[in-house]
Amino acid sequence: MVNLLDVVDRALTGKACFEKEYDLNIFSSKLREVVKEYDIKYDPDTPVPSDDSLADDVFKAALDFYREVGTYCTDTGRIIKFDEDEIKEGLKTAPSELTFGEGVDAKTLIPRKPESKTPPWCFLGAGGAPVSSEEIFLKLVEGYASIPLANSITTPALTSVRGMRIRPGTPLEILGTIRNVVLAREALRRAGRPGLPIMNALATATRAVSLITALHPDYGLRRTDGYLIGIIAELKTNFDLLNKVCALQSLGYGGICAESGPIYGGYCGGPEGTAVATVASHLMGVLVYRAGWYLSFPIHINYGSNSTPELLWVTSVSAQAISRNTHLLSLHLNYTAAGPCTEMCLYEIAAQRLAAIPSGVSGIESLGTGKATHEDYLTPMEPRFAAEVAHAVVGMKREDANEIVKAILPKYIDNIAAPPVGLKYQECYDVKTGEPSKRCLEVYSKVKRELEDLGLEFKC
Amino acid sequence: MPVEESIKRLRDAIISCDKELALEATREIIDKGIDPIEAFEKGLVEGARVVGDKFDRLEIFLTELIEVADVMKACTDLLMSQIPKGRVPKKGTVVIGTVKGDIHEIGKNIVASLLSANGFDVHDLGADVPAEKFIEEADKVGADIIAVSALMTSTIGGQKDVIDYLKATGKRKKFYVMVGGGPTTREWAEQIGADGYAETAMEAVKVALDLIQKRRSS
Repeated sequence: MVNLLDVVDRALTGKACFEKEYDLNIFSSKLREVVKEYDIKYDPDTPVPSDDSLADDVFKAALDFYREVGTYCTDTGRIIKFDEDEIKEGLKTAPSELTFGEGVDAKTLIPRKPESKTPPWCFLGAGGAPVSSEEIFLKLVEGYASIPLANSITTPALTSVRGMRIRPGTPLEILGTIRNVVLAREALRRAGRPGLPIMNALATATRAVSLITALHPDYGLRRTDGYLIGIIAELKTNFDLLNKVCALQSLGYGGICAESGPIYGGYCGGPEGTAVATVASHLMGVLVYRAGWYLSFPIHINYGSNSTPELLWVTSVSAQAISRNTHLLSLHLNYTAAGPCTEMCLYEIAAQRLAAIPSGVSGIESLGTGKATHEDYLTPMEPRFAAEVAHAVVGMKREDANEIVKAILPKYIDNIAAPPVGLKYQECYDVKTGEPSKRCLEVYSKVKRELEDLGLEFKC
Repeated sequence: MPVEESIKRLRDAIISCDKELALEATREIIDKGIDPIEAFEKGLVEGARVVGDKFDRLEIFLTELIEVADVMKACTDLLMSQIPKGRVPKKGTVVIGTVKGDIHEIGKNIVASLLSANGFDVHDLGADVPAEKFIEEADKVGADIIAVSALMTSTIGGQKDVIDYLKATGKRKKFYVMVGGGPTTREWAEQIGADGYAETAMEAVKVALDLIQKRRSS
């Protein structure tokens, strides 16, 4: 089995190649080749396909593709490659279940298949979106932990420490990361769910040194939390990311996640290439990071969201490819174009969860509202809604999900380029009580009723 | 073949990203003694505009866009070799990069390719670029614009650092500063005192052209 030392050795001695050459002549070129070879075709009329052979072809194409192109190390300008046996062995020995959290909130993440009746893992919260103050950070995380369907928490990102803006690679980043952990744990205690796992440890820690410092037990991170290690688009890594892997492995932390956001319209090309690259990113996670679980958020190059028909198709097909052919624990993260407390945002969430859950993802991370760009434009209402939709569509046939998605798409697609920005947390929620406003509840209830009319059966 | 037809041939070759045909059309323009500046404006730049629009609608993707930028550069070099140095038209000079601490490059690469395809002289510093490096390079190449990209909420502050460094070194008025990238918003750009902001790559080209126009008219 390939280990981290093998990866480092290949990063130091693998084939030398300039980055532009890797992007254009290796990654893009080979991707176009396998898409053609396997005759993978996007169908705009079927955002949630039910064609098993399409899913299996995407998986086979990704295997061929990743074996050929490997992973580019930006620090050494070399390619880390794996042969077919190593890839297959990696897939075979990857964890098929992982337990996160403690006490009554401990729970095991397991794989799902397309149309599975197994409830999905709900990893709820901010998706690392920025917040302006520690007070709002606390209120938000407490709100996320109070969602009954939450299995784990994704925290927001602090942008300042005692009024000083956080700069990456500085002591401010280390201090910000520590505060992020301490505040998140405190918020979970306040919500009465101290054992709930934090699974995006940590949005503030861009550098390994920040994560490693925050791992000190005094601050509250645990071996039962989850740790996201980013894959640089497309299929790239560097030594700082590998340092995070090295520290977590050496300290016995099992919750390493390979996180990737292949870009539709970028080097991946169209939806077909983006789907293959999404699966290939999982293979990179298996081999380069020895990840226990996977998080993907294929994303639109212009809109910064993944609710367009092309991205719904990519989400569905890549999830089917992975869940039908592996036991990898794979979650999907959604970004909406519209901001909080808008009907459009909830329609986007519904479409995204209808594309992901019946296609067999192990769970969802929800979510980045309004592309997760504006400070404080996030509330607990949207992740709660995402979890309720995810549970409502458990066991649904893909063809039924496809019809419902097609009915939802016209409700928002014309506004995707200029979506409503929505409202800030302070405008949607009472900051003292943490209760949603009447307007927020009205928007939520209205969209939920519409989805019920389309055939969704909400369990809560 | 009339002048218009030769230039159209060049423009169409750019739009279809056919390097051989584009170079052949450029050589033909030179052989016929057609004004290289007219061929540059009506053939290459017009072709690049159409390509940019196609990319905006995702009728073509990043790889094709970069290929077009490379073809543009080869044809531009050929045409410009026919013009005395003082007469060479230049849209403007841009120094571009992703801020310190941020390793994401794809968005920045798109903007760099489109600027280049639209006749700008682009100096790409790559990713993880310290504030002072942007300014050092801008000074060195006589830039009109410094374009600063950031893709993460945790690194966006690096855009302000570039503007602060310009102020601290007394060079703020020397260069226009444009900002862009995933977490960047118009409000943020205004808050930090940037001169230009664009949400998409094509918009970035328009903003850069407006800034150059502004500089020339002042």
